[in-house]
Amino acid sequence: MDVINNGPADDRLIEDIIAGNDAAFVQLVRRYKHKVIALSARFARDADDLDDICQDVFIKVYEHLGKFRHDAPFEHWLARITIRTCYDALRRRQKENRNVPLDDLHYQIADDTGGTDLAAEQARDLLEKGLARLRPDERLVITLLELEEKPIREIAALTGWSEANVKVRGFRARQRLKRILERDHER
Amino acid sequence: MRDEQDKLLDRLLLTARAIKPDTAACEENFETRLMARIEERRNSRALWTFWTWRLVPLFSLIVIIVGIGNIVIDPDRSNDLNALSTSGYEDNLTTTLLGGG
Repeated sequence: MDVINNGPADDRLIEDIIAGNDAAFVQLVRRYKHKVIALSARFARDADDLDDICQDVFIKVYEHLGKFRHDAPFEHWLARITIRTCYDALRRRQKENRNVPLDDLHYQIADDTGGTDLAAEQARDLLEKGLARLRPDERLVITLLELEEKPIREIAALTGWSEANVKVRGFRARQRLKRILERDHER
Repeated sequence: MRDEQDKLLDRLLLTARAIKPDTAACEENFETRLMARIEERRNSRALWTFWTWRLVPLFSLIVIIVGIGNIVIDPDRSNDLNALSTSGYEDNLTTTLLGGG
């Protein structure tokens, strides 16, 4: 996670942004964009979708910064907004994907392996197509649990669900993903 | 069978975990695109606010004209709200009684 920590503290930047200083907001965006983009990329369909999601995240930050209570680090608040925005994007997409066969779903987010490992790429595509068939909450949980390797407690804090709820959703998501891959394999 | 599926899924997840999405293209000039969108939203909102305030006097004038018109057209109207709600009731009653309905 490359967060640029040079320059004024987050709280100082936030005060400046609320006072109407756009340059301070640009500085805050530069500091956290990598983290937001990296997390959102796990949920985005393609490069345009990724750009839209990340812009939505920072627009929400910009418009609701006055509501930030400073009782937790800004980074946590930003992570919650990012997760919420990704979840909304998944829900919007749910109807579009419902009746599309696995083979017809296209994912165009490039990886940084340079495309040399074909087997890895195929595995990633297969998994992406399976994940696309999950319900938004299931996809969110399994991505955070299995791909981002976040602890249950952190996922609960990010999503606002209870820890027990996260565990149940994670288990169900895994079972469903297995069934989807099994069915796809049988075809 | 179940074990096989579990192993397959674990392998897929392990592989996908190792692949970090390439986000360089999105990161490039991201703040420029973002600020352009924020500026666009700000302008459209400013335009909406501008027209809302510009139209307030017009709507106020319409309300005043309608109010004055009401007084001029019907200067002898009753202030009795009960009479207003039962307006035409006696005529209806008479018609019903005489008509035998």
